[in-house]
Amino acid sequence: MNDRVPVVVFIGQPNCGKSTLFNAIAGFKARTSNFPGTTVCHAHSEVAWKGRVYSIVDLPGTYSLTPQEPQEKVVLTHIFQEKPDLIVNVIDASLLCRSLELTVELLELEYPMVVVLNMMDLAEKKGMKIDPVALEKKLGVPVIRTVASRGQGTNDLMDWVEKVLGEQRRPRHLRYSGEVENRIKKLAEMLPADFPVIANPRFTAIRAIEAETLAVDRFFLENNPDFKRDLDRIRQEISALREAPAYEVLSAERHHLALKIFEDCCRVRHARLSGLEKLDSFIMHPVLGLFLLLLIFAGMFYLIFRVGSPLEAWLLKPWEALRLGVQERYGHTLLAELLVGLVQGVGGGVAIVFPYFIPLLLLMGFLEDVGYLARAGFLMDAFMHRLGLHGKSVPLFILGFGCNVPAIMATRILESRRDRIITALLIPFIPCAARTTIILALVAFLLGPWWALGFYFLNLVVVAVLSSVLTRIFKYSSPGLILEIPSLKWPSLKNILQKTYFNLKEFIRFAWPILIAGSLLLSLLSFVNFDRLVNAVLSPFVSGLLGLPSSLGVTLVFGFLRKELSLLMMFQALGVSYQQLLSVISRGQLLTFVTFVNFFIPCLSTLAILWKELGRRIALVSVLLNLSLAVLVSWLVRLAFAIF
Amino acid sequence: MFGHRKNQAESLPVTGRVCSLLEIPQGHKFKIVEIKGGPGLHRRLLALGFHRGDLVTLNGEALLGGPVLVKNLNSDTRIALGRGIARKVLVEPADENER
Repeated sequence: MNDRVPVVVFIGQPNCGKSTLFNAIAGFKARTSNFPGTTVCHAHSEVAWKGRVYSIVDLPGTYSLTPQEPQEKVVLTHIFQEKPDLIVNVIDASLLCRSLELTVELLELEYPMVVVLNMMDLAEKKGMKIDPVALEKKLGVPVIRTVASRGQGTNDLMDWVEKVLGEQRRPRHLRYSGEVENRIKKLAEMLPADFPVIANPRFTAIRAIEAETLAVDRFFLENNPDFKRDLDRIRQEISALREAPAYEVLSAERHHLALKIFEDCCRVRHARLSGLEKLDSFIMHPVLGLFLLLLIFAGMFYLIFRVGSPLEAWLLKPWEALRLGVQERYGHTLLAELLVGLVQGVGGGVAIVFPYFIPLLLLMGFLEDVGYLARAGFLMDAFMHRLGLHGKSVPLFILGFGCNVPAIMATRILESRRDRIITALLIPFIPCAARTTIILALVAFLLGPWWALGFYFLNLVVVAVLSSVLTRIFKYSSPGLILEIPSLKWPSLKNILQKTYFNLKEFIRFAWPILIAGSLLLSLLSFVNFDRLVNAVLSPFVSGLLGLPSSLGVTLVFGFLRKELSLLMMFQALGVSYQQLLSVISRGQLLTFVTFVNFFIPCLSTLAILWKELGRRIALVSVLLNLSLAVLVSWLVRLAFAIF
Repeated sequence: MFGHRKNQAESLPVTGRVCSLLEIPQGHKFKIVEIKGGPGLHRRLLALGFHRGDLVTLNGEALLGGPVLVKNLNSDTRIALGRGIARKVLVEPADENER
């Protein structure tokens, strides 16, 4: 081997524990979950092992090498363009039979390869007895057993990586049945000299036959009519053998190879129903399961209000004191204003991260890790279909009630870009913890709990209506739900902590600096008496259209930074305290204000994440959508109060 | 998981005829005969390890026309299928002792 850093790629089916294994080897890098398809962009890390450096790449999970979904295309592009030096095929041992279909496909590449049987503990619990020596013999590549969640077997894996790389040992592909194999061979020999051969002629021929209905090689075929004729003939011959499309015949060949290997290498004792499976039948129960889902929802609200809010108040206290101290010491100077802005930006971040972000991320991490999210998607799919979406969006909305930012980040798990965009556009309408604070503080406290409940209901109705409208605009005949339900797992604390850390890091590195910068900018603007200008400019809109005191104009601008700032600044702007509020504005005005703040453009952190995840255009659409809806709904509220 | 404990000797609605995944009782063994619908859907199910000839059982159903839960007994995997898709998967009753 030369001195170049060898590239080792981790490939496996979704949810096989690939990312967990990657993390165990490379440190906290990849996001893991018990929900198929979480690694969408690939993670990459340099790892030193016994004096050598390896470049390790964690590719998104893929069921096969025939690309269908965006994350699967990433895998193919990577394999074909970057030409890895070694493939580590990670297998969920408890799903050995199905996983082997991908393994058979990977062997066809004839790249140096190592197979990892991960989740051995789970397989044993399921009563599976796998003979790794027999498996090694059948596959012709080293088989290593690991339990990545506990870090078992990772050293062994790295030793084998070193060994296989050193020997440049290439596996042989497994043979299909003779009549199919012959036709593949024939096509491989007919490949034109300029055909872009991937890995080897046989693999390329298989790809070409399977690409039947895909557009991948249409361009090439148009310029090679002779080869196209040969290809079509071979496809027809293969298809005639089994009276099925050629791609199905090849897939069935691999399926049978996998079944055969599985039967030769694995014995399954009849496992009794484990405690987890009993629990699972309760979780998936059509009625009880929904009830549990509601309970989990309620639990999350409880967490937000009973833990988050008091904690936030407590955390904000020292920052508030600091702010007052700064103002007292420096008076109304530029330095003071900037310091105040800094304090508010940093303190605001603290007040999001600790009371809401961390508890919610931990809870969501737990739900993800045990495999609950896929189940929630299953239970809620029917409801979501009425709104034109899939059950897969459900967990994201749940997440949005805590904070919109991680919810938008998590839209990565949706395969279709259309679903992802719609979900991301809807999430900013979900009342996050900050907005719930306003609803509670103003509506519930001053008008009564029923008003607050009604407001919440109105909010959900708006989301539902908007969803129906959006899904009609972005028309696309949805093929319906196909979602793998992973087996229920005991949660691993390590996984949950890693995931929380990963999400948190992204928020701190990305959204928080923007929050601080925005806060500083607004301080500067307020120092130059920009607020009066803002009030004057916004006056036709604020007092004319919505019928609110024009001094509230500037609070709306601050609400962009953090929604609760609108609330705090409202008292400041009106010059009254909390209890006296209703003496200066009417109930109608109060509700109009709350409605507007609630629906008004996503806060800065949300907008920043939208921008980063889905691009400028979608972020802009989101702003316009929120603004127009805020104006419309709050105007309707005003109208309703004027009439009744 | 719901029909799981049903007595296996319990009589099946053995009609010998082919029907879709939407029309079968929970907890009994069926064999996939055909997957209708476009190649996109077909490939997706193949990739998830659902092939012709595989033994499956209906494992659960969500409320209000929600998805069905299908277990593949050959590979021991479970997937949720929306009704529109489940309708396109044709099965026939299989011998309870077959594997």
